[in-house]
Amino acid sequence: MESKYTEMLNIAEQCGLCRCGCCKDQCPMFSEILEESISPKGRNALIRAVMKGEIDPDERAVRIAFSCLLCKRDESSCSAKLNNSEATELFREYLLSRGVKPLPEHESLLKSLENYGNPWLESKSARRRWAKELNRRSVIPGKTETLFYVGCTYALDRSLQESPKALARLMDSAGEDYGLLLDDELCCGSTAKRIGQIGVFDDLRRENERRIRSTGVKRVVTACAGCYKTLSQDYPGLSEDVEILHSTDLIWKMVSKGALKFRQFPVVVTYHDPCHLGRHSEIYDAPRLILKSVPGLKLVEMANNRELSRCCGGGAGVKTAYPEISQRAAVRRIREAEKTSATILVTTCPFCVQTLRSAANSVGSKLEILELSVLLGRALEAGRDE
Amino acid sequence: MLDSRNRDSVKRQLIEALGSQSVLWAKADLLPYSKDTYRASFEDENKYMPDFVVLPETTAHVQSVVRIASEHRVPMIPKGGGSNRTGMLVPITGGIVIDTIRMNRVLEVDVANLHVTVQPGITLKELDEHLAAHNLWLTQEQGSYKVATIGGAISTSGFSRRHQKYGTIADRVMSLEVVLANGSVLRTGQKVLYTSTGYRLHQLFIGAEGTLGVITEATLRVEPLPEARDVVLGFFKDFWAANDAAQKVMASGVMFTGGEAYEGHNIQALGAPEGMKGLFYVMLDGIKGEVEADAVFIERMMRESGGTIAEHETAVAFLSGYTIQWCGARALTGFEDVLTSYVPMERIREFYDTLWNDIAPRYGIEPLPGEKYSLDVGRYRMSGGRYRLPKGEDAWQRYQGVLREIAELTTSLGGSIQGCHGVGIEHRDNLDLEFSQVALETMRMIKSTFDPDNLMNPGKKIPDRR
Repeated sequence: MESKYTEMLNIAEQCGLCRCGCCKDQCPMFSEILEESISPKGRNALIRAVMKGEIDPDERAVRIAFSCLLCKRDESSCSAKLNNSEATELFREYLLSRGVKPLPEHESLLKSLENYGNPWLESKSARRRWAKELNRRSVIPGKTETLFYVGCTYALDRSLQESPKALARLMDSAGEDYGLLLDDELCCGSTAKRIGQIGVFDDLRRENERRIRSTGVKRVVTACAGCYKTLSQDYPGLSEDVEILHSTDLIWKMVSKGALKFRQFPVVVTYHDPCHLGRHSEIYDAPRLILKSVPGLKLVEMANNRELSRCCGGGAGVKTAYPEISQRAAVRRIREAEKTSATILVTTCPFCVQTLRSAANSVGSKLEILELSVLLGRALEAGRDE
Repeated sequence: MLDSRNRDSVKRQLIEALGSQSVLWAKADLLPYSKDTYRASFEDENKYMPDFVVLPETTAHVQSVVRIASEHRVPMIPKGGGSNRTGMLVPITGGIVIDTIRMNRVLEVDVANLHVTVQPGITLKELDEHLAAHNLWLTQEQGSYKVATIGGAISTSGFSRRHQKYGTIADRVMSLEVVLANGSVLRTGQKVLYTSTGYRLHQLFIGAEGTLGVITEATLRVEPLPEARDVVLGFFKDFWAANDAAQKVMASGVMFTGGEAYEGHNIQALGAPEGMKGLFYVMLDGIKGEVEADAVFIERMMRESGGTIAEHETAVAFLSGYTIQWCGARALTGFEDVLTSYVPMERIREFYDTLWNDIAPRYGIEPLPGEKYSLDVGRYRMSGGRYRLPKGEDAWQRYQGVLREIAELTTSLGGSIQGCHGVGIEHRDNLDLEFSQVALETMRMIKSTFDPDNLMNPGKKIPDRR
């Protein structure tokens, strides 16, 4: 057995010795479905049974394997301190390696990745669409030091294209030089990896790495929490040679050195920690410090924040496979945000914005969902016309 | 296990009654229901599987399931959070697990009369979160607080670390609704705490482990959230010095919420002076002035018993960390088991000396570091500890031998085999050490009155006649 699968089984077996079920207290999927199998404890039982040959990975078993947001929220509660998300991600990979078919709901995104290099069934050239209003800043090999890696979702979802534009403006305001790959940008492969498609991921990773290395940049900045997690943790070769930054880190640097100054912007906001930026990457302070640097802005926390932040429900292929459950998880988060006095929920991940915005609309919430750069763009401009 | 013809019929009827989203039969779904946290024999994890799991949401759903099961003579295993330690939830005869976790609604909060009515599947933590909005709490803080349900806590008569002031769940139940084995719905009485009418039927279901019926609703006494809380932490030469201090605090009559004395692992990290191994902490809840005065009084008693009082910030941080672990690091994570023997106060030294100096070496068990002695201080005389399970060829037999000898020791000292985890299958065959044949026969009569066909969690709690 490959060592990564040995590690997976090891996690499942340690869980099998304990079986306390404390994970359920924090698991967003369990709290929506309320079945023991849809919890880290239940999936670990399934991993053990499959690996010991006690059960065939039938359709139901595969459904259970893919009913996880990989959000890591359970791990703060886990008595044995197990990396259950890793075990589940590896289990998906293992099942597919043994000939199990992908979920039918994932097929179109896989075809899209194969044909277009993005999961959104958009043409390759559509990637540059968001940038047409900006000076087209292609990266200049050997000269540009910072690559702004936009990511598929910001670049291709029209409702989110305000985010890369806003971040570009923030960098321009701060005099930060950067370049774009435009059409040459390729999906980081995050979604493929999370749904166990390691072959698809490896192809994307190799090609992405080649393209990024060929630019000779010293750092890559991205506003997407998923891209950031993937580039910084799942591209070991690249991240050793090139600094990978999330936009929150870059913006905080710009704010700290006085390169970005915001105007009076009296709003009350709450911050939603994306799983990939928070629990997966442990970036909790930078976005909060940035928000607190905006004069007049008041940051109020939701009951579950930082390590215990509830997942928006949009991750790891769940939204595609189980849209109704994803929506319920998102509405739960919206309700939590509504209990604060905030009028705006700020976050730093395109999937969180998409998922939470859709949930807020579905329940008629007055809460506005904004990506951090967009909010900061407003704070930069606030009161200019007065 | 059901034969295939019966199985199809039961499945069809269950789906008709509850809908296909509330009936599980695929093996992948049944796996987590094959065991609770009982230290079962280790090699065949999924030896016992239920035929079905049902996830009712209403009392009417439970009634339907019970009627179908009774018609086909299928055993039923009522389930709450699933963290039981004695095998109470292991489906040793197959059957239908009635998982109550979707019965998680709060039905009524009666602030004026200080009680709450809930469905059984709400967890203790969820209920406290709900009650906090009314400035109330249940006070039932057991180790499985995050996952244990009200139904499960009642059915095992769970411990609460706040017991000294508030009692445990056994003291909080005012009235229950129970679906009996014949499908009828029993309401045990009015939602009153004290009454002198009728038999106290609800008491029969406290610690019944699902052998008498399925609890579908509970009315529980709740308390206003205290104005002030504090903790006093003292360090002592060893466990016995900490225990002496604990007994003095007990005898003084001061009202504390709960406390624990134990011989800890590396308590110097908490600021204990070099050489000190014993620790004793006391939790206080109440009116601000009362808590302040009690803290001063307890500190003085600890000092007079040779204790060194921890800095207040240290004590608060200690309790906060300990509380976070309450359903965390304290869960059993390996080949180990935990003691929860109820031992009379004056026999504790005898209990531990015999356990560690006589029983342990004979069976090849050893205490985990910092887990040799621990005592819940208060009227709940629970002597704790953790030990590594025996290893080697006949490990399972030796483990059963350990359990039997600890049961013999505890009962010979006038105590109870199990302070809070119930009987399940782990202690079932040792119950004759604690109860006379008359007492056991009385229990069997009660069981057969409620469940003449022995379908409610059969093979648990009460030993077969010899």
